Amino acid sequence: MRSVSRYLLAIVICGFPFLRLAAQCPNRPEAGTVVNDALSLSSANGVLSAELTMKHSVDEAGYTHYCYIYDTGKGEAESPTLRLNQGDNLLLDVKDRIDLDDSAGMMEMPPGKTCGDGGMMMLSSTNVHFHGLNVPPTCHQDDVLTTLIQPGKPAFKFNMLIPADEPPGLYWYHPHVHGFTEFQVNGGAAGALVVGGMEKFHPEVSGLKERVFVLRQQYLVPWVPGPYQLTINYQVADSPSFPSPIIKMKPNEKQFWRVANATIQDFMPLQVWFNGKPQKLQLIALDGYPLAKSRMVDTILVPPAGRAEFIVQAPPQNNEAIFIALGYSTGPTGNPDLEQQLGRIDVSNEEEETTETANETESKPVEPAAAPLTTSNIKFAGLEEQKPTAQRKLYFSEEFGGTNGPIQFYITVDGQKQKVFEPNEKPVITTHVGAVEDWYIENRALETHAFHIHQIHFKVLEVDGKPVADKDMRDTMEIPFWEGPGHPYHSIKVRMDFRDPTIAGTFVFHCHILLHEDLGMMHKILVLPK
Amino acid sequence: MKMCFRSWLTPVAAALVSVCIASAPAAGAGKPHYIITNDDVPAPLATSVTFYSVGANGLLTVKGKVLTGRGGIAGGYFAANRVNVLDNGSTQCVYASQAASGEIVAIFIKTLKIASHATGSKRDTGSSNGVGMAMNSQYLYASFTDSNTIGTFKVQPGCKLKFLSDITVGGLQGGTIDGMVLHGNMMVTTYGDGSIESFNISAGVPVSNGDEQNSTGSRGGNTYPNGIDITQDGHFAIFGDTATSTIVEVSDISSGKLTPTVVYHLGSAQSSSNIMLSPDETLLYISNTQGDRITAAFFDTGTGTLTKGCVSGTLKGYVTDWSYLGSLALQQTTGTGGTVYVAEFGGPSSIAEIKVTSAGGKCTLKESPKSPAPDPNSPGLLSIGAFPPRPF
Repeated sequence: MRSVSRYLLAIVICGFPFLRLAAQCPNRPEAGTVVNDALSLSSANGVLSAELTMKHSVDEAGYTHYCYIYDTGKGEAESPTLRLNQGDNLLLDVKDRIDLDDSAGMMEMPPGKTCGDGGMMMLSSTNVHFHGLNVPPTCHQDDVLTTLIQPGKPAFKFNMLIPADEPPGLYWYHPHVHGFTEFQVNGGAAGALVVGGMEKFHPEVSGLKERVFVLRQQYLVPWVPGPYQLTINYQVADSPSFPSPIIKMKPNEKQFWRVANATIQDFMPLQVWFNGKPQKLQLIALDGYPLAKSRMVDTILVPPAGRAEFIVQAPPQNNEAIFIALGYSTGPTGNPDLEQQLGRIDVSNEEEETTETANETESKPVEPAAAPLTTSNIKFAGLEEQKPTAQRKLYFSEEFGGTNGPIQFYITVDGQKQKVFEPNEKPVITTHVGAVEDWYIENRALETHAFHIHQIHFKVLEVDGKPVADKDMRDTMEIPFWEGPGHPYHSIKVRMDFRDPTIAGTFVFHCHILLHEDLGMMHKILVLPK
Repeated sequence: MKMCFRSWLTPVAAALVSVCIASAPAAGAGKPHYIITNDDVPAPLATSVTFYSVGANGLLTVKGKVLTGRGGIAGGYFAANRVNVLDNGSTQCVYASQAASGEIVAIFIKTLKIASHATGSKRDTGSSNGVGMAMNSQYLYASFTDSNTIGTFKVQPGCKLKFLSDITVGGLQGGTIDGMVLHGNMMVTTYGDGSIESFNISAGVPVSNGDEQNSTGSRGGNTYPNGIDITQDGHFAIFGDTATSTIVEVSDISSGKLTPTVVYHLGSAQSSSNIMLSPDETLLYISNTQGDRITAAFFDTGTGTLTKGCVSGTLKGYVTDWSYLGSLALQQTTGTGGTVYVAEFGGPSSIAEIKVTSAGGKCTLKESPKSPAPDPNSPGLLSIGAFPPRPF
C-alpha cells in the first residue's frame, strides 16, 4: 500500500485510543504566565550524558501530547535543552514508554540491517533526529532510516561526537519515524540543542542574557486542517482567546534570543513590535549556522524546522512590546498560517522569579576570542568558491483527486518517476564524498513547501533565478507556492557540500511540513565513501 | 457573436448558423430539458437536487429544487459522478447519490418527486469522498469511495433500484475507486493511484477482465487518470488525468480489454479530472478542475488521437466565488453540444455557461455574458447532468 492508504488506516485505527490514555506528560505552563526556558543539560568535561523517556497523554482540552521526559531526581522536566561544545561527546539514552495499543497502521522497516529494536514502525515507535547536526547517518548517531525504538524496551543509546568544526548555534531534536512523525511532534516531542561558541564568531552576543524559545504547534487532530494553537516553551500563545505569554526584559536591555520553529507546518515571519511598530533585530545565525556578518532586519521568516538567533533590545520602560509571528500565505491548497502574538514583552526592572528550570549543570561561560573567528573556521568553509561537480534539478508537486486537499505529495528528481517515499526504496540520488553539487529546487505545487536535507547544511545561491545578496547556510528553506497558470514556478538554487567523509551513507531529504513528509514527500540520497 | 465565427463567414452566413444552432434538437418533442445538480449539502442538513430549465439561448433558470431527505458532504473526488439520468422510453428518472448516508435517491423527471431510496450493503460507504454512479437501462453501479466497493443495483420500474451485491475493488498500489463509466458489457474504472481496470458486466455484477494496469501517464510519474468517457462505438476509452497541466490518455478497448494508454499533453491549464465527448465526438471537453477554465481538444474517432483545440478564458468568479471546477454537461444532444456547462465548486456554487463554436479545424469556448447560473442550494457543487442525456 502507498503511504496515503497506510496513513488513512492509521487515522481510522489509531484515532480513538488517544482518548483513553492516562496522563503521562507533565502539565504545561498556564497561559498568561512568565515564559521560562527549558531545563538546560550542559556537557561537563567534554561529555553530556542524559536519559530521556518518550511518553504521551491527552490534556484536558483534548490535545495529544508526546513528550521527552527527563528525570531530575526531584521531578520531571520536559524536552530539556541539550548544551554541548564542539568536540563534545553526546551520550543520550532514549526509552520509549508510549502507552498505546496500535497494532494496526504499521509500516515495514527497510530490509537489511536494522538499528535498535527493529520490528514494525508504529505510532508507538520512536527514534530521534538531531536536526541540523552535521554528524554521521549511522546507527547510534543520526540515522532515522533504520533506527527504531519500541515501547517497553531498554533504552536505546545514542553516542555521537559533535564535530570539532561544527557550527555553533541552535539545533533541535525530534522523532522521525516515517508515517508517524507529525503525530509525535504535534504539540510535543521536540527540544533544543545548542552547540556553544557563538560568541567566538559574534562577540556582540557576549554577556547578553540568552533565551531559548521553542515554538510548537498543536492541532486537536493533526491531519485535519482547522484551528490550532501555537505554544512558546509549551505555554499556549493563542491571544486573545488566552492571556498572552509574558517575556521578561529590563528597560533597554539587549537579549540574545535563540528561536526554534518546531511546529509541524507553520511558516513564521517573526517580528518584535514596540507600540505597534516592528523593530530592528540583529540577526546572528540561521539554522544553527553563524552569519558571516550580522545584519539588521525587522522580519525573520522561519520555516517549519528552521531556527533564527538574534539580538533583541527592549524598549524603555512603559512601552508596550510584543513578540509576534505574522500571517503567512502558503497558497491556495496550503493551510492558513495565521498571525499570532507569541508573547507580551514585560519591560520592567523587577527581578525575575526564580524558577525550577535553573540549569541542571552549568557550563563555564566561554570568553570571547581575542579576535572573532570567521566561518572559515567551521564546516562548509569556502563552499561558494568550490566548483560544483554535479547539477541536479528537483521539484515539489502535489496531485488532487477531489476537493479534500492533495492526495499525493512528491519531491522528484527531474527526469525520474514521481513517486512517494517508501522505506524500502533505493536512493534516488547517489553521489560520493568530495562532491559539491548545485541543486535547483522548484515548487510546482499550489502550496509552499520547506526543503530540508539531513546531515549537511547547504548554501543558498539563488532565489527565483536571481542571486541572493546574503548567501546564508541553511538546512531548511521555504519555496513559495506556484500562483498558477501563467506564473513561473518559484525556485531556489543551493550548493550541497558532500566533502565531509563522516557523512557517507544513506540519509533523506524532504519537505518539513510533517504531514507531507509522512505521506512520502521524501527520498533517500546515498553518499558513497571516497 | 462576431468573435465566435471565422472571418470568412459573411454576416448573413453567420446569422444562418446562429439560427441553426439555436434551433438544433435540444430535446425530444414534449420532453422537458434540464440541467440537474446534485447539491451535496452536508449532513445534518438535508441535501437537494436542483433542476434548471435550459433556454434556447443555453441559459439556465431554476425550475425547482427537490429535497432528498438525506445528506451530502459538499466535496470529494472530482470524477465520482453523483448525478445519473435514465431516459428509457417511458421511464425517465434522475438518480442522485447521497454521500453522507451512502444512499441513491431516485426522482421522477416528470413530476420532480422522490421515487425511491436505495442502499447497498452495510459496508458500502462514501462519506469522505463521495459515491459515484454509472448506469445502463438494466443496472446502476455505485462506486463507494471510502469502502472501495462497487455496488450493483437492478433497475426496476417506477425509478426504483434493487441492490444485488457489491464487490471490493482497488488500484494496483491500493488506490481508491474514482471514475467509473459503462459501454455495452464493459465497465471501466480509475483508481487514485494511477491504475485503471475494466470489468465485464454482461451478467450484471462486474467481473474483472484481468487487465488492471498502471496508465502510461502514471508510469511516467506525472499524472493519473481520473474521469472517463467511452466513444459511442466502444472503440476507445478516454481518461482525463489529474495533473499539473492538461493531460488526457486514450486506450483502445475494441478487444474488450484495456490496452496501454497513449498520453496526450493538451495545454498548460491545470488538471483535467473531468472530461466529456461532444455528441458528434469531434471535440473532447476537459474541465480543468484545479484551474480556472475549460479546454476542448479535437478527437479523431477513427484513430483515437487528440489534438489541441481551444481554451476558454478564465471563468468568472474564480477564487472569489469558486475554487474548483467539477463535471460537465451539454445543452444539446447533437453536434458539438451548443453550450457546455461546468460545475463551479463554491459556497454557494454556480454553473458556468460556455458557448462552443467549431469549424474548419478551429474552435472557440466563450463564457456567456450572463454566466454563471447560481446554484444557491449547493455549498459544494461537483456533479451536474443533463436531461435528455447524451445518446451514448
